[in-house]
Amino acid sequence: MTTDTPLLEATGLTRSFSGHTVLHGVDLQVHHGELLSVMGPSGSGKSTLLYTISGMDTMSAGTVRFDGQELAGLNQKQLARLRLTSMGFIFQHVHLLKNLCLLDNVVLPAYLAGLAPRSDLNDRALQLMERTGVAALADRDVSEASGGQLQRIGICRALINSPTILFGDEPTGALDSTAAAEIMDILAELNADGMTLMLVTHDPRVAARTERVLYMVDGRIVGDRRQERYAGAHLDQRQTELSQWLMAGAPVRT
Amino acid sequence: MYARMIARDFRRNRSVTLILVLLMMLSVVLATASAGTLVRPVGASSDLMTQADAPHVAQLHVGPYDQEQVDAWAAGRPDVAHHQTMVMLGISGANLFFDGTAQTDNIQQNSLVVPNTERDLLLDLDNQPVTEVDVGTVVLPVIYQVEADLEVGDPVTITGSDGYVTELTIAGFARDSIMNPAITSSKRLAVSPADLADVRAHTGEVEQLIEFWLHDPDAESATFQKAYQDSDLPAAGQMVDAAAFRMFTMIGDGMVAAVVILVAALLLVVGMLCLRFSFLTAAEQDYREIGVLKAIGVPGHGVKQIYLTKYALLAGIATVLGLPVGLALTPLLTRNITRYMGSVPSVWNWVAPVLAGTAVLTVLVLFVVVLLHRFDKISAVTALSAGTTGRQARAVMRLHRSRMPVQLRLGVMDVVGRWPTYLLLFLVFAVSTFIIIVPVSSAATAGAPAFVNYMGTGQVDLRIDLRHADSTSATEFEQMVAQLESDPDVTAVAPMVTTRNDSVDKDGNTASLYVENGDHTLLPLTYAEGRAPTAPTEIALSLLAMNQAGRQVGDTLPVQVGAQVRELSVVGSYQDITNGGKTAKSVLPTGEDDVMWYMAGVELTPGTDAGATASVYAEEFAPAAVADIEQWRIQTLGPIAQQIMVTAVVSAVVALALAALMTALFTRMLLARDAGPIAVQRAVGADDPGLRRQYLTRVLLVLLLGVVVGTVAANTLGEGLFNLMFEGMFGGFESLGQGTSRIDFAVDPLLTYLALPAALLAAVALTTSASSRSISEARVSTLTTE
Repeated sequence: MTTDTPLLEATGLTRSFSGHTVLHGVDLQVHHGELLSVMGPSGSGKSTLLYTISGMDTMSAGTVRFDGQELAGLNQKQLARLRLTSMGFIFQHVHLLKNLCLLDNVVLPAYLAGLAPRSDLNDRALQLMERTGVAALADRDVSEASGGQLQRIGICRALINSPTILFGDEPTGALDSTAAAEIMDILAELNADGMTLMLVTHDPRVAARTERVLYMVDGRIVGDRRQERYAGAHLDQRQTELSQWLMAGAPVRT
Repeated sequence: MYARMIARDFRRNRSVTLILVLLMMLSVVLATASAGTLVRPVGASSDLMTQADAPHVAQLHVGPYDQEQVDAWAAGRPDVAHHQTMVMLGISGANLFFDGTAQTDNIQQNSLVVPNTERDLLLDLDNQPVTEVDVGTVVLPVIYQVEADLEVGDPVTITGSDGYVTELTIAGFARDSIMNPAITSSKRLAVSPADLADVRAHTGEVEQLIEFWLHDPDAESATFQKAYQDSDLPAAGQMVDAAAFRMFTMIGDGMVAAVVILVAALLLVVGMLCLRFSFLTAAEQDYREIGVLKAIGVPGHGVKQIYLTKYALLAGIATVLGLPVGLALTPLLTRNITRYMGSVPSVWNWVAPVLAGTAVLTVLVLFVVVLLHRFDKISAVTALSAGTTGRQARAVMRLHRSRMPVQLRLGVMDVVGRWPTYLLLFLVFAVSTFIIIVPVSSAATAGAPAFVNYMGTGQVDLRIDLRHADSTSATEFEQMVAQLESDPDVTAVAPMVTTRNDSVDKDGNTASLYVENGDHTLLPLTYAEGRAPTAPTEIALSLLAMNQAGRQVGDTLPVQVGAQVRELSVVGSYQDITNGGKTAKSVLPTGEDDVMWYMAGVELTPGTDAGATASVYAEEFAPAAVADIEQWRIQTLGPIAQQIMVTAVVSAVVALALAALMTALFTRMLLARDAGPIAVQRAVGADDPGLRRQYLTRVLLVLLLGVVVGTVAANTLGEGLFNLMFEGMFGGFESLGQGTSRIDFAVDPLLTYLALPAALLAAVALTTSASSRSISEARVSTLTTE
């Protein structure tokens, strides 16, 4: 599913917080249609990589090109617009706005972008919620849904403006294994439809379902493993192989 | 360790700490200033009356006078301690020039006197008695220094119709314990006996001021006044007592004090609400830390001590900073009092404000102690696991059913969904609006032309007073009315004849009443309650008279008319400051009773020069006194309205500062609380200007609600307070809350409904924009799990 021009390209990406360097000159290319996961121990810089590469956080040094555009050359407003229309985000704790009902949470980015009449946007939101199986919850409060249901709402929100890439920060981290598997099914389905995904995860079961796994330690990518596309079978075996690779120090294998 | 934690906390929340100190400081400033504003006039007024040894009862009299008759009567009364009579030589305004300016527009009755040496003293600006005036000089009432900008050395010229001219030099200014304020329309100008005799030979009208000092004025005053009026002693003029002197003095400065006290009290309440808000927000932010402290075994009182120390320290700093500002503000608010009554170097002038400031400090600290009880409920485990005490927000409105711009709608939804959070801000805005509007409206009301209607004078342009001297007076008055009615410039004339009738006070004792008889529906004044009397069986009473009689509208009052006693029904009440304040209105026959004076209210055709007409009439109808009501209003009520306006400006500045500070505090704390949701919205693509618009919408919506509620409250509650103040001033404490004063606020709609809210809007909007700049600092890290 990959093409030669990278969708996302980071070169020498560095991020420091008050003298402490969290990312050490990371180089990374993500191609169209890739399903990528980033693993590593706590504090290795996985999330920082995700937020810096998506332009949500500022970088201290290096360059990031997204779809041919240099992020450093964009102002705050242009970056916000880019996130709004071309990027989708899902989080471990979903982070829905509690004073909005679930449908409102989904339509919010679409209303902000204002690319179509609101009635059309409402219809699209309901279609997405239908597809992820949460359409019945449209009018409910955030407090009236389960963790798995909320994460599906989060995915709908991320997809509402038809982004080119979907970033996930531990999207299954707060879910039980059944709910997590269901979320991964949805994400895999999206990828099959051509969506690029970059997921930060602790969970080897999640990483085992992706076709590329990065391993980070102390702000550096120390391992980059490509594996076959997951076709729905032998997940345990893939997980074992991944664990062995990790235990071997995650050597770069292309 | 605690000290280090507190120091670190101050460093971390520098701006919030600063705002909190400023808010508490405002409370202290106002409390201090209001205590000073209250203590000074009361002290100065009683000091002036004591130092000058003001008479307890004074009777003015024009006409034949026999000193021996008065002496003999006084000697026979055990309640009289002293008495004396002062000769006052009234000089017409046309014959009196201050620094070259004729005093024809001056509504004051200016009289030359030789100052007393023992009692009823005139006091110089150092409050020392003026007992002697050099020949060729004059000591003027202090009002002319304040209002006419006269200085020592300026000339005062007196002329006579026979071509007489004499020039006196101003040697100084004096405070007069009974005729000080503008509203007392007589003024005493002190000269030497030689000058008085010289002027008297050429011009002026002699008036006697017969003064009495009683052994027990509080108990004996009413009986004494009645006894005097029942005797055949000279009484062609007003009788005034100490209560009336005090009332005249307090009418202006009392209003100022009342407004400042009102503002201070409201501000203290708001200050406490802000403290509570900031405390709870800080506690919420520190929730985990409190959990940690408890988990490692710090006892509950130790945790509390940290917070108590912190807030006590802030309140202490605020008090130390606020006290001098409050003390410095007091002279500005009491400038009038100081000029007219002098400042009494009393220790209370300093002690009372400091006590008030300290009381505010105590209240603030005690309030924190009460708030700290909340900490007892925090368990270490829940604090560590939950991490927040925040209420669960609920989705009340729907975004997807709205056509409004997204950020605007989100702002509205947040205010509706989290109303308890915004309640404090709403209260602050409502109170600020109230604090701005009530003093401004009070000043506008006191300065409005219609205000004279509440003060015992109808809707007239000119008021012509004629004393009843002898049997020819009635004919004279009738001729005058006839002439007025034939004048093409006059559209209406309301002739009134005032008689003195016997009635009873609330204890059943006989008391006399000045009853003004005539058609009261013509050129009416505004009634506080009820209506004008239209039949001889009806009577309306002034508030002071009402209080004296212990009656209400709807009751009956026995009044002696001729030889019989009639039970008149009380149909109305009104405010009056004329003729000692105890007056009545009715339509009684006036032939048989003691006629005291005649009065004609005149309405002129629009466009007629009232001042010029007044001068013409004054000459034509002499010895009747002609008053141009608008001039009278400007000269008596003007200074009072101005003084209230000073207070109004101070209040408005305080209220704007309060609203701005609170907005800054609230916005910052709201942004801190909302760091999560803000980061989420930025993550999904909301830009910073949009987010700022959302927060501006929230604050401005709350402001709008606050302004509406505050304005409504100002025009209902505020108006009620203003009236309560009036009742207190005119009727004493007993008439408080009886609903006898019903003054409508004279609202300047452009100022009240447009300019002032716009100023508030501008202050709040600017503060919100400035405070919400930190929105960009909302860290994305709040979303990460690492």
